[in-house]
Amino acid sequence: MTVLTFTLILICSAFLAGLLGSLTGLGGGVVVIPILTLCFHVDFHYAIGAALIASIATSSGSASAYVKEGITNIRLGMFLEIATTIGAVGGAFIALWMPTNTIAVIFGVVLVFTALMQQRRSADHTAVVGSDLARKLRLYGTYPIKEGGVKSYELTHVCGGFSIMLSAGVLSGLLGIGSGVLKVLAMDSAMKVPFKVSTTTSNFMIGVTAVASAVVYIQRGYIEPGIAFPIMVGVLTGALTGARLLKRLNVKVLRQIFACAIVLVAINMIYNGIAGKF
Amino acid sequence: MESIEQKKDMQLLIGTALRIGVMTACAIALASGIYYLICHGGEPMPDYTVFHGEPSSLTTIKGIFAGVLQFQAKNWIQVGVLVLMLTPIIRILLSLIDFARERDWLYVSITAIVFLVILSNSLAGA
Repeated sequence: MTVLTFTLILICSAFLAGLLGSLTGLGGGVVVIPILTLCFHVDFHYAIGAALIASIATSSGSASAYVKEGITNIRLGMFLEIATTIGAVGGAFIALWMPTNTIAVIFGVVLVFTALMQQRRSADHTAVVGSDLARKLRLYGTYPIKEGGVKSYELTHVCGGFSIMLSAGVLSGLLGIGSGVLKVLAMDSAMKVPFKVSTTTSNFMIGVTAVASAVVYIQRGYIEPGIAFPIMVGVLTGALTGARLLKRLNVKVLRQIFACAIVLVAINMIYNGIAGKF
Repeated sequence: MESIEQKKDMQLLIGTALRIGVMTACAIALASGIYYLICHGGEPMPDYTVFHGEPSSLTTIKGIFAGVLQFQAKNWIQVGVLVLMLTPIIRILLSLIDFARERDWLYVSITAIVFLVILSNSLAGA
């Protein structure tokens, strides 16, 4: 295969990854790693580097829209980024010595968990009584609602959310993914933040978290320009197209099909990891 | 209490900065990518199946910019990657300025911690 063919195929795959990532809300990184490792047999380290690039691009691209709408809780995001960036640095250093086969198995397990979490119904929290710590940290916020005007909310369990965020950071440093599912779990389930605020704030945080580990990866030579450029261009255009389509499409069925596909990919990853094929 | 107008302005600014950053990075990557394909498109695909690390010309700021001056396509792509990585960092700095303007010192410190974690990490790994 020539460089040109490889690049063109990779741009198309990255476009699909970005499109699916944004339609299903999983982010680009989750799809990029299986494509690179299982289809192209690219070394896992290069794949993680590419996934980080994809995560930064999609997160920053879509966060720009949400921030303007005023849904994102910037204070909450900033505060929890302390946990995710420290975690991400730790994760990146763990990835340096951990055998790739082990990383592949962990990635597979995270994929299964992600697919399961996607099936969960999101209940909106009503009348949450905020904790004192959350009040002191000024984490309460408001978000615009469809009927016009704003709705205010309180939140609780700051320490619990903070520790889940620490693990989310480790995973994202280790695997290059945004680990948005874990971030939403921390905010939605633990801290009782409204679902819409959780997802946009999580997305807002992914870019900064990914950068914290990307600075380690680029210096260790895990970011290969020949892979980074098709991934960056493909994933970003895919994600932007997805964001447009999302307004018109009903993605419920697509999400279920995608969840099944993810589980199959995950089984493949875990099997190959245990068999020592990476 | 900060005015809602002022808060809106900052959200707009952060949103715009993120979009400009990503678009610039993508444009640089695309242009240098095409240049890379013109120079190397016909060559057989490099062996990515085994990790061998990148040369220091692609992993340090000094190395990257030295290659940029010599019009090395891969180095130009890496500049795109750097701009992409700078985008969230600039977003942190904008928030820092915003919290300082609101005299919200608690959040100035929180934002500064996040910034320092990333900064120390970029210097320590070198």
